[in-house]
Amino acid sequence: MIAKVLAPVVMVLAFGLAASDQAPRERVYVGEQACRRCHHQPGGRDQFSAWRLTKHAQAFAALSMPESREIAELSGIDTDPSKSRVCLGCHATAYDTEEWERDESFHFEDGVQCERCHGPGSEYMDADVMRDSTRAREAGLRMPQERDCLVCHKEKGSHSAVLGVKQFRFEAAVREIAHAGVGGPLDPTDRPTADTLPGPKYIGALGCGTCHGAQSGSRAYGTWRMSRHAAAYATLGTARAGEIAREMGVTGEPQGSDRCLACHTTGGGEPTGRFVESFDAAQGVQCESCHGPGSAYMAQAVMLDPVASADAGLIDVDRTICTRCHTEGIHGRTLDLEAAWPAIDHSAWKDVAQVEYKTPLNLAVTQDGRRLFVACEASNSLIIVDIERGTVSAEVAVGIQPHFVLLSADGTRAYVSNRGSDDVSVVDVSSLRVIATIAVGDEPHEMATNEAGTLLYVANAGTYDVSVVDVAAGKEAKRLAAARGPWGVARSPNGRDVYVTNNLPRYGAFRTPLTSEVTVIDAERSTVARRFTVPDANLIQGIAFEPSGEFALVTLIRTKNLVPMTRNVQGWIITNGVGVLWEDGRVDQLLLDEFNDFFADPTDVVFSHDGSYAFVTGGGVQEVAVIDVERLLQLLEHASPEDRAAVYPNHLGASAEFVVRRIGVGRSPRGMATSPDGRYVYVADGLDDAISVIDVARQERVRVIELGGPQEITQARYGERIFHDAQYTFARQFACHSCHPDGHVDGITYDIEPDGLGVNPVDNRTLRGVNDTSPFKWTGTNPTLTRQCGPRLAAFFTRTDPFTAEQSAALERYIVTIRRPPNRYRTGDELTPAQRRGKALFERLVDKSGNALAPTERCVFCHPPPYFTNRNTHDVGTASPLDTHSEFDVPHLNNIYASPPYLHDGRAHSLEEIWTLYNPHDTHGRTNDLTKAELNDLIEYVKTL
Amino acid sequence: MTMMGYRTFFVTVLSVAWAAGARGQSEGAPTLEGEPYVYTQWESFTSESTDGALVNDHIFFLEPDGDSLWIGTEGGLVLYHDGTWQSWTEADGLPWRVIMGIAKDRKTGDLWLALFGEGIARFSGGRFEHFTQMNSGLLNDVSYGIDIQGDNVWVASTAGISRYNQVTGEWAAFNEQHAPMEEVWTYNVSAAEDKVFFAVWGSGILEWDVATETWKDYLDPDGEMEIDLYRDDGLIHVITTSASYVDRVLWASTYFGLSRYDGRNWRGYLDHDSGLPSMFINQTVGRSGTSSYSATDKGLGVLADFASDTWVTYQRDDEDAATWTAHIMVGGDEVRAVPTDLDLPNHSVISVALMGADVWIGTGHGLARGIGTDFHEGLR
Repeated sequence: MIAKVLAPVVMVLAFGLAASDQAPRERVYVGEQACRRCHHQPGGRDQFSAWRLTKHAQAFAALSMPESREIAELSGIDTDPSKSRVCLGCHATAYDTEEWERDESFHFEDGVQCERCHGPGSEYMDADVMRDSTRAREAGLRMPQERDCLVCHKEKGSHSAVLGVKQFRFEAAVREIAHAGVGGPLDPTDRPTADTLPGPKYIGALGCGTCHGAQSGSRAYGTWRMSRHAAAYATLGTARAGEIAREMGVTGEPQGSDRCLACHTTGGGEPTGRFVESFDAAQGVQCESCHGPGSAYMAQAVMLDPVASADAGLIDVDRTICTRCHTEGIHGRTLDLEAAWPAIDHSAWKDVAQVEYKTPLNLAVTQDGRRLFVACEASNSLIIVDIERGTVSAEVAVGIQPHFVLLSADGTRAYVSNRGSDDVSVVDVSSLRVIATIAVGDEPHEMATNEAGTLLYVANAGTYDVSVVDVAAGKEAKRLAAARGPWGVARSPNGRDVYVTNNLPRYGAFRTPLTSEVTVIDAERSTVARRFTVPDANLIQGIAFEPSGEFALVTLIRTKNLVPMTRNVQGWIITNGVGVLWEDGRVDQLLLDEFNDFFADPTDVVFSHDGSYAFVTGGGVQEVAVIDVERLLQLLEHASPEDRAAVYPNHLGASAEFVVRRIGVGRSPRGMATSPDGRYVYVADGLDDAISVIDVARQERVRVIELGGPQEITQARYGERIFHDAQYTFARQFACHSCHPDGHVDGITYDIEPDGLGVNPVDNRTLRGVNDTSPFKWTGTNPTLTRQCGPRLAAFFTRTDPFTAEQSAALERYIVTIRRPPNRYRTGDELTPAQRRGKALFERLVDKSGNALAPTERCVFCHPPPYFTNRNTHDVGTASPLDTHSEFDVPHLNNIYASPPYLHDGRAHSLEEIWTLYNPHDTHGRTNDLTKAELNDLIEYVKTL
Repeated sequence: MTMMGYRTFFVTVLSVAWAAGARGQSEGAPTLEGEPYVYTQWESFTSESTDGALVNDHIFFLEPDGDSLWIGTEGGLVLYHDGTWQSWTEADGLPWRVIMGIAKDRKTGDLWLALFGEGIARFSGGRFEHFTQMNSGLLNDVSYGIDIQGDNVWVASTAGISRYNQVTGEWAAFNEQHAPMEEVWTYNVSAAEDKVFFAVWGSGILEWDVATETWKDYLDPDGEMEIDLYRDDGLIHVITTSASYVDRVLWASTYFGLSRYDGRNWRGYLDHDSGLPSMFINQTVGRSGTSSYSATDKGLGVLADFASDTWVTYQRDDEDAATWTAHIMVGGDEVRAVPTDLDLPNHSVISVALMGADVWIGTGHGLARGIGTDFHEGLR
């Protein structure tokens, strides 16, 4: 009975809940044309024309300009600016949306349009909603504030370097873009539909832009959009236009005058039947004003055929066309055609001349000893060198940022790892053609095959794993977990093991000594067999087996990050050496440094064929150290276990016992290879674009082979050399590169200043894409990179004379060009369901109880796109007792997934920990109302930024 | 008669009627259509008998690895190989000692552990890597089960299901918002090549189709919690504890009996109409589409042959019995009792695993291996 009575009540309640719970309609961007319907009232409140004459309306087109490419380069962006999410973030509207979030009437080409500032308009665009400001705001209408403008208009180093510093003043800017008013009534006299007339029709510039826009590799649309032609209609809405019209005897508003429109719009005066429905006269003097109505020639097949396109109406433009409107003395001026013609030229890209270096990083020698295969990072190529002649015999384009090259056992294939495109190029050694490209993990570095040559092991520094590639199938078979930043790979002489070095230390407890790892793979099973633990070391990169297989040598550095870096003058901040890995799991460490002459950045190691010598490149000192292996072993043999564990790893004098020579080579020596006959060691001199040839017997450099890089040394290249050179630090202990390998991070928290032991510990931050994210330093006190790397660096890091102004400028120039890798979690327009849910949380306005969030409780307030930083400092409750500050710089979030650990002192090992462990009071955004699944969603979205 | 009394009577009548009909036997002693294999020779191991090598006698999970066996206990991880033992406790870097599930990734060779209250761990190359709800996308730290399908690690936890992709690093969460789960408390996960099955307390069995990335749920159609009103109409009960998918046949254990599903027909087993020692089943492992091993709180129930409904039930006949007895049964009726030398003191079987011809059982007090000399499947 009770159930019967209650049933209707339950139904009503359920229905009521369902009704009130109805999900709000998704807000969609509708584009300026939709806004224009109410906000373009000729002679009245003409907000459209005002906007159309601003740079905002040209913002997307500006990405077609050569300056944009230069700016992009200075931001570490190597893609077309019109395709870069960072560039589009400020030069377009709704760049961070999926296709479903944009109406068909929306066009990126319209640049920074109404909805960039006022929010997606689908739900407030209705005139009834707009008349009620409360309803309109509830429906998503935003009125921007100064901080919203500053997201894009705060001074950016890349833009200042190219365009000059342009101070942004909010009040002046608001006046400049002023478009006061509340809109007008819907225009009932929209262009009437008319019967289609025979003959070609005008399609409008947006139609042309589909193929002639920057995203299609053409600058034509952008150049036009930046020209006055594109503003020709909008300019009729100005007061000056009204005056001219009256002087010419035009009555009424110029934008309604056929006489004015004849020259200020395309097809002005033509009957409506000559236009396709989507044609937009307000775009001004468009492509078809000169080239003729395009409906018959717009098809690609027609356009590519000169005869067919001419037959279809495409006009071969000459200057007489201009004089149809630009008549002598019109509006008191006579057009200088000679000057005007080049100004609107849109026939080809005007690229900034690029100086392309080679930057050889690693190399391999063919079995006959005649050729070197050299992986060149800067030129994205594999260079083949004729050793006897000392010349480059071929250059093969491979993937992006090739790092390592390996020749197959049968010598028929060269495998090239490309850390910028996350793949391996397979090059046919005979034809010198890339015959396959195999996708692997993020940032692949060194490689080795199993003894049979059927499997290829690839160290993925970005994903902390090893790809096992089935060579015959040409695809990855599995991934094996390494430690962090796997880098070097070597197969043991007996073929049983593959050793993989790890560049970054393992995660450890806060402020505890480093521990790194060498991962050992069972080559028969392709499984991880064991892991060497290497205490107090990091940047374990190069590896080679002693020919008998008794042990392996690795290069390493030992970073004392728990004491202030200013202790550098005591000679004990970063020491450099090698590790000896014994098969039973023991590890010995020995330094290659001398008291006052360190051996910075040991990078690669090879053995002489008889195993009596080992050669180690010192990337920061331009030298190759020669180790007498027997003497090294004797030193260890006669040492007590305690000395081997605690003394020799730090002994700055021990190297005199076994380093028999340091051979000078070129700048930034990296990888090495020995000739098949064992007589020579070849060294890739990374920043000289050359190969040094070392005579093993004589232990000296006997020859240099140039790889054909440019002779000109650009400012950025000069800076790159400084970045990799330890001569700028006390006793040559380290280079910038020592803490920023690959321009990235070493994953370590440092104690930098002499303010007490462990006070103000700071996490090392990536240099990739850092340029426009000032201020720098975790406390946000350095407004520029020059300041960051200037006298402060000398005082706290290098402990030598500061860089000269020239050096400082060059270093900054290089740092800003460090390539920003593509985001691996956002390859296309579409988000995954989890990412989509996460985005909603990132941008949410209310908590899960429906309470409005304060601005500082919202993720997007401090982390607005496109850099996802508001470039201010905030106290998010993360200060620890070791900190003397509580406000920290808001880090940018681009590719944030790639640079753990997190927070200013690196205490969060994962993105999750930022909120699960270190945001107990919601001071770092409101997150404690989220379920774990929702927090997962949020993180999945953050990874896409 | 109370409502409960009516229900019990009704079910009993139905069950007896069904059981008789199903076997096609109207009267007389049950007969064997062939001999099932009976494990009579056993080796038993306790912490005491192994001098502590078996670090704890509460054996929660068994994972065969070639000719070795990984053992998850309340006190740590143990590896048994050809008479030798190796163990890992927190002193050896094991993040937490209570191991509820183990999965060997055949592809990478790594071992994955479900840690009760402490998330999961990857044991690779001698190093434990710890994933928790705090440092990763894992939904909850109370992990009951873990298994591998392709590059994905699937975790059953009290808060639902987590999936970790070892290649992309992506975590996915499945709970009442993302999967057909009324309840989220997930006891077990079992992965096959093309499907992954989950036993969810109160939500039956969930099936994940690898190719389509879609869910399908199996529930008890009669919706009754205390009884199975209509036999063989579907899953026997929604309070499930494990799933095992072999030969495209799904075996599902519950706290109220065992279910078998061949993709078209369901078959349910209760303790009084089968060789199940108890309806309280902790885990069921299928050897084939016609044979399964159920670990119950009163012994091990082996369905040796589906077609003939032939069972072998291993249990202590009474608390004072020194050894276990194997009872050969057809349906719920005993044909013959066979003595064994299995001497574990507790017949509450928590876990079971098949390793070649051998069977391993983990109990509340020790571990045992049934040695399958001349083992044969089915009937002979």
